[in-house]
Amino acid sequence: MTKPWHWFAFRPERPADAFATAPAFRADGAQLGFLAAWSVGVGRKPVGALGIDARAIDPHGQPAWVSLALALERIRVPFDDPTICQAMRLVLAGSSVDVVSTLVRDPSTIGGTFRAVHAPTPDALVDDPFTRIFPRMLLRVERGFVGRMPCPTGPGVQRYAGAPWPWDHF
Amino acid sequence: MPSSTHRPAAGDHFIDFELPDHNGNRRRLSELVGGDPAILQFYRGFWCPKDQASFRELVHLQDEVEVAYTRMISVSVDSPEVEAAFRAGIGGRWTFLSDESRGLQAQLGLLETTDTVHRPYVPTVFTLYPDLKIHTAYNGYWFWGRPTNAELAADLRAITRAIRSDWEVPPR
Repeated sequence: MTKPWHWFAFRPERPADAFATAPAFRADGAQLGFLAAWSVGVGRKPVGALGIDARAIDPHGQPAWVSLALALERIRVPFDDPTICQAMRLVLAGSSVDVVSTLVRDPSTIGGTFRAVHAPTPDALVDDPFTRIFPRMLLRVERGFVGRMPCPTGPGVQRYAGAPWPWDHF
Repeated sequence: MPSSTHRPAAGDHFIDFELPDHNGNRRRLSELVGGDPAILQFYRGFWCPKDQASFRELVHLQDEVEVAYTRMISVSVDSPEVEAAFRAGIGGRWTFLSDESRGLQAQLGLLETTDTVHRPYVPTVFTLYPDLKIHTAYNGYWFWGRPTNAELAADLRAITRAIRSDWEVPPR
């Protein structure tokens, strides 16, 4: 792995140039769009894409439920905002999920969060601390996108050299 | 490190053991420590008043550790479910490991032989370098053998100074 993060976006149509994509559905079965990921350093950054912990993405991953909380475009929330740090603390203190990654908009600004479980129901995602900060979608995602990663050791809430938390190496 | 009765000591490299965490996921020590300094704590159990006092201090310390690129790990012979409940009760946000089978306890020679009911760990705290080399070992069988937060901070400062090449800010 050359970079600890990928580019990630939620798109209405399936992008042709992403290395991983999967359709995403609401709980009632309505398709809302596609999750897509691109490798960092391959071509230009896709418009509007956000950095995501590379371990969150697996082109061979099993189906999953995803809690996708996205900041509104007009709102800039710094990673070091106390509300963000407190949400990270609540994630560390709570039950484990298969994937958790903050989404990096720029070196100092958070673009949202991505949490996921490989489970038949989204029950483990209902209480997502970041939904108190950002609007979120609860999505059923088909195979071919969502990875699996170990829980953060804790109690760290600082990012390593600008990588999406909880990536934990310089 | 000898595997029978030699207790880990300063300068030894800690065995890279693997145990289930408080969620039941198997975790390896080297993965949990990563590239950072770490506090590795072995404790008797939630029922021990001395451990409760120690944890109250560690919970205070985690508010500094969380911004300092440092890891904390606690180990006991309790089940993952009991550890998860205790961790939630004290407000811990770091990883707890369960040695329910007491295999690691035997390997490290850290059985508290005077408590034949619980057969817990001898309360012991280690400060570790990222390569699992032990900086300092604290024998907490008697309460005052346990490290204060100030002592842990001094250890973590020394380890960080040794491993971070930019400890001294480079001149322009």
